[in-house]
Amino acid sequence: MKAAALAGGAWSKQWRRWAPVAVLVGLCIIIGLFNPNFFGGANFVRMLNTAAIPLVICMGVTFVILMGSIDLSAEGVIAICAVAASMLVANDFTGIAIGLFSVPAAILIGSLVGLLNGLIHVKFRIPSFMTTLGMGFAGIGVATAILGGVMVRISDSSFRDYLSLGRVFDIPAAVYIAGAAVVIAYVIQERTRIGRWVYAIGTDEATARNAGIPVDRTRIIVFGIAGAFYGLAGALSAAQIGRGHALISQDRLFTAITAIVVGGTALSGGVGSVLNSVIGVFIVIVLTNGMVLMGIEPYVQKGVQGLLIIAAVALALDRSRLDVVK
Amino acid sequence: MAAILKNTLNRRSVLKGAAGAAAVGAMGSSFPMPAIAEETTWTLANSLRSVANPYHATFAKGGEDFAKSIGAKYEVLVTEGNSEKGIADIKALLQRTSGKLILNVDPNDSPDARVIVEEVKKAGGFVVTQWNKPADLHPWDFDPNYVAHMSFDGVPTAEAIANELFKAFGGEGGIVALGGILSNVPAIERKLGLDNAIAKTNGKVELLDFQPADWNEQKAFEITQAWLTRFGDKVKGVFAANDGMGMGALEALRQNGLAGKVPVVGIDGIDAAVAAIEAGEFAGTVAWDPLWTGGMGLAIPYAHATGKIDITKEGHEHREFYGTGIIVTKETVGAFKNNPPKVDFNDLWGKATGQIQYRG
Repeated sequence: MKAAALAGGAWSKQWRRWAPVAVLVGLCIIIGLFNPNFFGGANFVRMLNTAAIPLVICMGVTFVILMGSIDLSAEGVIAICAVAASMLVANDFTGIAIGLFSVPAAILIGSLVGLLNGLIHVKFRIPSFMTTLGMGFAGIGVATAILGGVMVRISDSSFRDYLSLGRVFDIPAAVYIAGAAVVIAYVIQERTRIGRWVYAIGTDEATARNAGIPVDRTRIIVFGIAGAFYGLAGALSAAQIGRGHALISQDRLFTAITAIVVGGTALSGGVGSVLNSVIGVFIVIVLTNGMVLMGIEPYVQKGVQGLLIIAAVALALDRSRLDVVK
Repeated sequence: MAAILKNTLNRRSVLKGAAGAAAVGAMGSSFPMPAIAEETTWTLANSLRSVANPYHATFAKGGEDFAKSIGAKYEVLVTEGNSEKGIADIKALLQRTSGKLILNVDPNDSPDARVIVEEVKKAGGFVVTQWNKPADLHPWDFDPNYVAHMSFDGVPTAEAIANELFKAFGGEGGIVALGGILSNVPAIERKLGLDNAIAKTNGKVELLDFQPADWNEQKAFEITQAWLTRFGDKVKGVFAANDGMGMGALEALRQNGLAGKVPVVGIDGIDAAVAAIEAGEFAGTVAWDPLWTGGMGLAIPYAHATGKIDITKEGHEHREFYGTGIIVTKETVGAFKNNPPKVDFNDLWGKATGQIQYRG
């Protein structure tokens, strides 16, 4: 009897783990039935390309969410980094042209803003929600003040080729970069102490503290790591559209958080993984792509999207480990 | 937008100045202006969404130009898309200026206009509204304080630019269209204009699909990618209800090696779109004249306040009117850049093109 119950529990656990993948596969099949073009190689490349920047953003946000905090600064940090990157390559705004060195520069700027997020959050004991929300607004404000409403046009074509337009085996450069970002995030999660501590803090911060985990330092570093991913996303965004402006990352944050939650990472922390977020991003991207392919009325699209998101979370999220559902 | 400024002013410093003006305005202080006897008794202000977009940055600059020309105090109020903030800032400024305020406002949302007009009337100031107001709110019902409402007619504009798109691919084939936020008046008007243009081709041009991308470049990018999968080479052209979405579509085309092969049109006349026209990737855009609306929305009430005109004696076509959009295409882009539209603050209605119509 007991063994059977255990087996049942294990089965449900296995199911929850694979539920996001099942949702993704199910979606693909349904869309494919409506429009066989969905399964065409060209469409897969297009979807990978569309997914690249959201993937990089999600790699950052996921760590913060796993830790039980939230990071709402992504749009602002991306705006600053995209504007910075576009001002550092050959452009029509500044005389600077450092080419691909602008990428590490953007990552550095992003991680510094991220560290600042962490420092304010930890040292002044301000909830991450407010700290990062404020930092996000400040970021867009800074980008606006630098540009005053104009856009920086990038004239460095090799920057755009290496980061976005160039193709190897017919797959755009941005996809490889996003893939590398996923691998790095996975290594951080699985192979570093920070990665493990993130889970410990997200599950139960008091216990983590008692166990001697440097909670405060970990928090600050994790916000810094998240910022670094936003920096990369900023450089990729600038390369993708060939311009830098303050509103470049509009609506990115909501997509990212949706993807993370749909992928099965709990906003309460401690549950999930960067790989879940990868699946989550693809669910969101496939859904957007599929709506257009199936020719669903624009008026209905948002409703369908909302319902599917709730359904996906219901399937994927292991609520048995949550004491309370807020 | 910036192209308009290029020859007359140094674009960067001007727009930086506009951003600075907004920052200063937001902090509640004002520009140090030379004091000129009676003129300085009026404070001038433009209220707008955000100086992060080229249209409003230039709009703010237009107001500054006019204020400078008469030596008046000038402030920029920024709503940041928040109606409450927009109205609260206006109330505060009315209080501070004891009603000696001339306000040119692009209300964040249509219902805001009524509240703003009532507040200004109560305080004894003068107000001009732009783009958004309820259809039953008219300047002549609030004489003399509600001086005028200015807008641009989206229907003929969108129809004209759609025709430029059809011309660019030979007038026969399928197009896809990106719309703005479904409930926005300009979005509805521009869709109507597109529909009119398509209807007049007698079936030669087919609208393959219409999707609202909510004025968002990124959404436009994603939708255009999906369209290429769904329709492939049936897509002969892309219509975008604003340039931002048009740029998103263009970059999606570029990712698929189609930039310059599938023409795109937009509306607004941002400098990136003007550059894309020069590069042969955009078939056209419509340039509004924010320098004119930003300045003239102050110049008309100022003329009334100083007794040059009596606004209550002007006809309805001078109280609710459309401005002029300039169609920019490959043929006209050179002339447009070399001869940016000029603003003459003494010619109050020179660029007005008819009384505003209410449809449906």
